[in-house]
Amino acid sequence: MLSVKDLHVVVNGKEILTGLNLEIKPGEIHALMGPNGSGKSTLSKVLAGREEYVVTEGSVTYKGQDLLALAPEVRAQQGIFMAFQYPVEIPGVNNTYFLQMALNAIRKARGEAELNSLAFMRLVRDKLKALEMDESLLKRYVNAGFSGGEMKRNEILQMTLLEPSLAILDETDSGLDIDALKIVARGVNTLRSPERAMLVITHYQRLLDYIEPDVVHVLSGGKIVMSGDKSLALELEAKGYGWVQDGLEQAA
Amino acid sequence: MNTLPTSPEAIATLLGSFQPVALEDDLLTPDDVEQLRLTPVESLRVVMLNGFFMPELSTLPQDGSVTVATTLNTDSPDEGVSIRIKAGSVLAQALEVLHVSFSFESEFIAQPRLRVVLEAGAHATLVEQYTHLSDTLCLNNAVVEVFLEAGARLSHPRLQQESLRTRHLSSLHVNQAAGSHYHGTTLAFGGAWSRTEFHVAFSGTGAHCDLNGFYLVGDQQTHDMHLDVIHNLPGCSSNARFKGILYGNGKAVFNGNIVVKPDAQKTDARLSNDNLLLSRAAEIDTRPRLEIYADDVQCSHGTTVGQLDPEMLFYLRARGIPQTQATLMVCDGFASEIIDTCNAAALQQQAQTLLAKRLASVTALAGVNDA
Repeated sequence: MLSVKDLHVVVNGKEILTGLNLEIKPGEIHALMGPNGSGKSTLSKVLAGREEYVVTEGSVTYKGQDLLALAPEVRAQQGIFMAFQYPVEIPGVNNTYFLQMALNAIRKARGEAELNSLAFMRLVRDKLKALEMDESLLKRYVNAGFSGGEMKRNEILQMTLLEPSLAILDETDSGLDIDALKIVARGVNTLRSPERAMLVITHYQRLLDYIEPDVVHVLSGGKIVMSGDKSLALELEAKGYGWVQDGLEQAA
Repeated sequence: MNTLPTSPEAIATLLGSFQPVALEDDLLTPDDVEQLRLTPVESLRVVMLNGFFMPELSTLPQDGSVTVATTLNTDSPDEGVSIRIKAGSVLAQALEVLHVSFSFESEFIAQPRLRVVLEAGAHATLVEQYTHLSDTLCLNNAVVEVFLEAGARLSHPRLQQESLRTRHLSSLHVNQAAGSHYHGTTLAFGGAWSRTEFHVAFSGTGAHCDLNGFYLVGDQQTHDMHLDVIHNLPGCSSNARFKGILYGNGKAVFNGNIVVKPDAQKTDARLSNDNLLLSRAAEIDTRPRLEIYADDVQCSHGTTVGQLDPEMLFYLRARGIPQTQATLMVCDGFASEIIDTCNAAALQQQAQTLLAKRLASVTALAGVNDA
């Protein structure tokens, strides 16, 4: 589904990703871990299409096409969803209206009929119920005045509504209490299917107690330096990222 | 580009270049009014054509709660309409004043004059619209006076959607007695250039004034908003919030002045002006001013000038919403904070439609971020 080859990315004149390789197949959940500044968020932003992130080398292929050639909205329409680490407040834009516009833009691109307000409300209520989330989020402006937890819940609501093929969660767990964390996990687990893939970017092992990854990668210095199964996450939690660094230095 | 004259001499020269127009019968039809109205058909309605009161097109009240008087003297510069709402009356329905510019003449001047008095304790909504039926070059020079007696409450949404060739000057004078409440929203869309002046004065304590304004300024357009809110008595409050969206080579001026006189202790006065510039050539001159001569007051003023936030646009696009639509959504959200204060559904709807239509026509919007 996603194939990242030798990806080099420069942000503000500084190379952040330095030859990253990553293969994700349908049905898989990959966890990407790594210390601060290792390039985790840069990868998610490049995949979502942030224009400030300049790819200087390498390629990203998604469902057989050159992902980097596509505009952000086209990527979303083709099934890529990134849950933002820092969701953006959009004052004056009603959350329900935003969700409906987003879903209909994507449905239209898929060749499906757009949903009218009534059908949309029915759908969004079902999703909220499944996530055990409060309806009050719908009446407010997009993320405006939301607490950190509410913003992340809103991201998960969007994810379950838009039903992406490839979901990227960019440190969605950071700053969340255990209840919010469970909502995030529930959102991911309900979407889990043989056709979908997920890339869960996280700083801590905690989220992986609820979302069981197929593969765990460690990102350091702009490239993946270690990959393994879920036991790798536990090992990292116990030994710290210093252990990876030391290992690299010894190997070098 | 049309620039707005500022000196009295320049304004006098300009006024002189426009000719008074005679009252033309049978020009405006009931069908036109039907199309233009922004309140339910049975609402009380005063129709003005080029500044002339049109009694046969107006719907006047029967129950005595509202009286409408006119001089009906077409030669008099004081031609105008006076509306008086009886003490204690609470009008269930909005009262609409429809100003229409329409003539086969060109370069004519219309001078509508409106005086609205709410007697003590009266409550009303006054919907005012300035619109046009033909794309003639004219100057609309309107004066609106509002008198709120003790405890009166007026909600006053106003929509200015004149032709893009029209020059629009309007000055609104609000006089508030003790405990009265004025809530106004002025939405300026039309005119080659337009200038709206707000003059607020208090004659009693405990009065509150809300002034909301929005301007959409496109290519070849100039909008001016001038505010003078004078707090001369203690214990009154005012809140002025103005926002503008500018594109092309549109130009706007916001000149807001709040004066708190030495006797006006316990005044609460707020003033804000926020602007969204969609192009490099657009220009805003904003000057929020507070002059405070009392020492026990709460006052604030602030102004912002910014461009579309790329973070917001990216967020919407990352959810599949195309760039043009994302831009419209962000602009609409920005404007709706003011437009939503109208409390008049049809007018609000009309304003939203105008905004969407005008912004959608800006083909350069797609490249806004590249500018």
